[in-house]
Amino acid sequence: MKASNKIRMRETIVSYLFLAPALFFFIVFVLFPMGLGIFTSLFKYTMKEFTFIGLNNYITMFKDPVFQKSFINTLILVVGSVPIVVIFALFVSSQTYERSAFTRSFFRCVFFLPVVTGTVAVTVVWKWIYDPLSGILNFVLKNGGIIDRNIMWLGDKKYALLAILIILLTTSVGQPIILYIAAMGNIDKSLVEAARVDGATEFQVFWKIKWPSLLPTTLYIVVITTINSFQCFALIQLLTSGGPNYSTTTIMYYLYEKAFKLSDYGYANAMGVFLAVVIGLISFAQFKFLGGDDVEY
Amino acid sequence: MKKSKVLSTILAGAMIGSMLVPAASVSAAETTEITWWAFPTFAQDSVDAEPGAYEKTIIEAFEAANPDIKVNLETIDFTSGPEKITAAIEGGTICDVLFDAPGRIISYGKNGKLADLSDMFTDEFVKDVNNDMLLQSCKAGDTAYMYPLSSAPFYMAFNKEMVEDAGVADLIKDGWTTDDFTTVAKALQEKGYMPGSVFCSGQGGDQGTRAFVANLFDSSITDDAVTEYTINDEGGVKALDYIKTAVDEGYLLNGSAYAGGDDIKNFATKQTAFTLLWGPGTQNSNQTLLDDNKIETIEVPMPSADGVPELEYLVNGFCIFDNGDDAKIEASKKFLQFLCDDAEWGPKNVVRTGCFPVRTSFGDLYEGDERMNTIASWTKYYSPYYNTIDGFAEMRTYWFPMLQAVMNGDKDAQTAADEFVESSNASIKNAQ
Repeated sequence: MKASNKIRMRETIVSYLFLAPALFFFIVFVLFPMGLGIFTSLFKYTMKEFTFIGLNNYITMFKDPVFQKSFINTLILVVGSVPIVVIFALFVSSQTYERSAFTRSFFRCVFFLPVVTGTVAVTVVWKWIYDPLSGILNFVLKNGGIIDRNIMWLGDKKYALLAILIILLTTSVGQPIILYIAAMGNIDKSLVEAARVDGATEFQVFWKIKWPSLLPTTLYIVVITTINSFQCFALIQLLTSGGPNYSTTTIMYYLYEKAFKLSDYGYANAMGVFLAVVIGLISFAQFKFLGGDDVEY
Repeated sequence: MKKSKVLSTILAGAMIGSMLVPAASVSAAETTEITWWAFPTFAQDSVDAEPGAYEKTIIEAFEAANPDIKVNLETIDFTSGPEKITAAIEGGTICDVLFDAPGRIISYGKNGKLADLSDMFTDEFVKDVNNDMLLQSCKAGDTAYMYPLSSAPFYMAFNKEMVEDAGVADLIKDGWTTDDFTTVAKALQEKGYMPGSVFCSGQGGDQGTRAFVANLFDSSITDDAVTEYTINDEGGVKALDYIKTAVDEGYLLNGSAYAGGDDIKNFATKQTAFTLLWGPGTQNSNQTLLDDNKIETIEVPMPSADGVPELEYLVNGFCIFDNGDDAKIEASKKFLQFLCDDAEWGPKNVVRTGCFPVRTSFGDLYEGDERMNTIASWTKYYSPYYNTIDGFAEMRTYWFPMLQAVMNGDKDAQTAADEFVESSNASIKNAQ
């Protein structure tokens, strides 16, 4: 064996050895549970039963009206949150990235605060804001003459999902803003200046110069926000428990209810597999339409 | 020379040490270690006391009397505890002893996760308890899975100051009727007080609303034999219609946004005039909050059409998980007997739960306490215990959505009740 081959072999082995610990944990704690989840979704799996039933869990799932409702609710959260998060984050970032370091830090801090604050703490605050009896939202709206009687924000199906969506937005915009500010800072200033010298309007500068540079960041933000919105659980669990009358039940919450309240693990796993497939397909589509290796100006 | 002396000394020491090791191992092997998961059911010495402080004193006393058993304590809460138990059962990391109520315990038993405690239900014990309904609540069929300690009814509580101000305090008493309740609720509304809520978010405390619905027009959640759900009968539907009307007219609060705990908090912070979820333990655990808000309570059974209520009730008790180790099961049984039967600790533990002993031989633990004696007299209103019915956990997931649907006008009372009964009866079959 040539000396160069020996060195390459040794380097390969060393690389694999470095990879091994991470790979081990990835296999044991990610791939194996995923495989187990898919496998057990084909079983009637409860505390006392483990019987192969093929695709019956999936058939039952698609016929289950609560699952259908929870899927629609999940889609509403995703469709409602992703565009708003992207547009809002883009707007805030574009307004702040050229300002002083202090202003940038201030806005980053303000919008990132709900992200670093624990979900439970955020939820407790929002629960108080939405409280029908003593909540500040009803107080402000009532004293402002906008409403004449207290609204049950979390107890009325007309408002409950919207109320959840608003909280989801506040906890989702922080990271995109930070990413956009960083990405905008990396845009080649000479291109922007050249475009301005050539008489381009601000919109043209944004659309032709900045936006193409921001596409990779946007793709990341869209994918991450989509996944987070699909997996919205803690807010529902802590604020509405899926109510009123299933109007805020999401797939993740229903999955939890089936698994941990009713011990119907097979059915819950079927929902988990379905959710993973849906997220995978949507992410694939997002990569297809927003992805691309080269930035074209 | 010196070196060899040192070496030989070390060797000799190692040999002696190696002889001692097995002896130590034997001693360790003779100690059976068990784990107890405790919900915050026992009252602590003070509000500031760390969770589980009282439980630790029980363990100390038990270990002193049983040096061959070591008890490890882990405290869990009512919010995440049930899920933690479910996950631990499936993950094979469940405790040995759990303090809970029959609803969950019997479900674990039916699923083959618990040790059979039938041998603890001796003739002496059965005779001492002298309450077939209560004993049956600890069993699935003929197999006992829960060793009971104490019991107490659930009922309502009113803010005394508010009802006196509304001039209706005299109506709130044992034997009061639905008409009396309506008069009281409307009087409170007229005085500008916020009524109590028919809370229906989350899942905890749902028994309070079930008892309220069942009593308003003398319906019942299940038939007397506890074989099927019957709340869609005339009385049940009438009660749901009544609630819908009361909510629309403002003398009951739509509790779609409130969990049971929220409702209690609203009451204990003077925001609402009454609550449908109260018990002796609730009063004790909220006493500081009540005192801070200068609230005196009037405790009363649920109102009913005929003035004879049927109350839901709590049974506190212990179960033992079958972790495949007979020694642990035996040690756990000893621990349970200490907790529930010990002449000193049994009565003490009952009082800490704020409930009444299941053992009649414990006598009147609240001698001279007029309030507790009054509540004790309501045990005669205990309704058929349906918390051990097959599919009980699944039924609970349908109850609050039904109330929400009725109060928010999504479904009429009859349709909502019919759907609830249909799903709940199906849950009985599903679980069999």
